[in-house]
Amino acid sequence: MLSVGYMLLTVGVLMVLAGCWCMIRTLHMLKITIGIEVAMKGVTLFLVLAGRVSGQLALSQTFILTIIVIEVVVAVVGTGMAVGLFRKYGSMSVRNLSRLKG
Amino acid sequence: MTLVLIFAGLELTFGIYAVASKSILRSAIGLALASAMLSTVFYALGAQLASVFELSVCSGLVTVIFISGVSLSHSPKLDLQGEYRDRERNRYLPALLIGGGAVMLALGFLLGGGGLEFAADSAQSAQEVLWGSRQAEVWGQIAAILCGGVAVTVLFREERRDR
Repeated sequence: MLSVGYMLLTVGVLMVLAGCWCMIRTLHMLKITIGIEVAMKGVTLFLVLAGRVSGQLALSQTFILTIIVIEVVVAVVGTGMAVGLFRKYGSMSVRNLSRLKG
Repeated sequence: MTLVLIFAGLELTFGIYAVASKSILRSAIGLALASAMLSTVFYALGAQLASVFELSVCSGLVTVIFISGVSLSHSPKLDLQGEYRDRERNRYLPALLIGGGAVMLALGFLLGGGGLEFAADSAQSAQEVLWGSRQAEVWGQIAAILCGGVAVTVLFREERRDR
């Protein structure tokens, strides 16, 4: 019988895999940002799991707060880039990034 | 602990829905639901502070940001453009997830249950750790938020200059 911790680890690994798949297989800027967010959900699950296994949940919660702040910043910047791309080229494809100058 | 596994499974389901959905709006809603399920898992595991932040910030604010992005793009149809062909692109996603899950479960059985037993928690609270030994991290978080604000300001200033 597998332990609860290992099952949560499996869920986290699958979340990271799904997020990475989304990042690799789509060209849509917003969708790529959503893929990053999904992968980061797996990472935060790893952090809570590490805190519970090591018995230092308070320390891991402080790391999670930092991760959450970084998640928000990534979401804001990714969405801003996507909207900027759409306004300039009428599409959110990341291929348009290579056409930018300066 | 059964509840933890149920909510973790729901989190994975909504995460996969967010990845596989063809509509950005549905993806954002799936991500919000995955965040809500993750916050429930946090709460059940005893991480109450992280649970509150996950629910309010990731499930609320990030969803608002994505939906604002969709509405700011003035896209009449919220679906992805046909050129991306997400259905074809996601054809091998279930195989990847089933394969990854099978490998992890096989490894767990090979390791005799996988280990990772929960230890007794220390008496220190998250507030004591955050404001005591890791106070510098708060300044780092403030700096990260300021960087994000500056980045967004720059992005929209460039847009105005182009006009």
